[in-house]
Amino acid sequence: MIWYSILLLTYLFTIAIVFTYKAVSEKDLVKAVVYSAAQSIAYAIAYGVLMAPDILFAYLAVGIGIYPIIILYAISKTRRFEEAG
Amino acid sequence: MIEYLILYLYTSLFIIFAIAVYGVVVKPNIIKKIIALSIAGDTANTLIIFLGYRLIEYPKPPVLPTLNPSRGEINSFVKEAVDPIPQALVITAIVINLAVVAFLVFLSIQLYKLYGTLDHRKILVRRGVGSEA
Repeated sequence: MIWYSILLLTYLFTIAIVFTYKAVSEKDLVKAVVYSAAQSIAYAIAYGVLMAPDILFAYLAVGIGIYPIIILYAISKTRRFEEAG
Repeated sequence: MIEYLILYLYTSLFIIFAIAVYGVVVKPNIIKKIIALSIAGDTANTLIIFLGYRLIEYPKPPVLPTLNPSRGEINSFVKEAVDPIPQALVITAIVINLAVVAFLVFLSIQLYKLYGTLDHRKILVRRGVGSEA
């Protein structure tokens, strides 16, 4: 059992590394928000594996719902693409 | 073997935190800075939760399922449940992070209305403080 949870956490944190790198290095801000939401999904499943179900529910609502909505609202009021340079 | 996997977990969390801090410091766009800041905060929360995890067979969530528990139930709960205090702290920190991100988004919209850009170097140039690199 402890092996299963540790291996699942290894997989989830590796996914989180990949999506964090893509979110930081992406020029299109909408794609960066989507990558950060995918990283939030990995963290939410990790909270479930780490036996924190209340944080799982709160973080699902915040990390996948509210963060992308308010950042997409800011992008809709400003520019979508990062300037070069 | 399992020690190396746990070491890998800590290392991967610190790598994610380093990438997010790199994004906050180096990337010029302010919305990109806000995204990287939210990732850094969530990584710190995950690290705190992982410190409170108990490495035993079949750990349980820190929720007592009965209203009037007997002494044996409390003993087994104390032996099997994970630490509840990091979870209580983190569920507060998630909401505070949300409020901070909403405030920063409001400030970035105001900056775009005032200066017409979100690049912090160009904002400094238009204020007459910095010079074009």
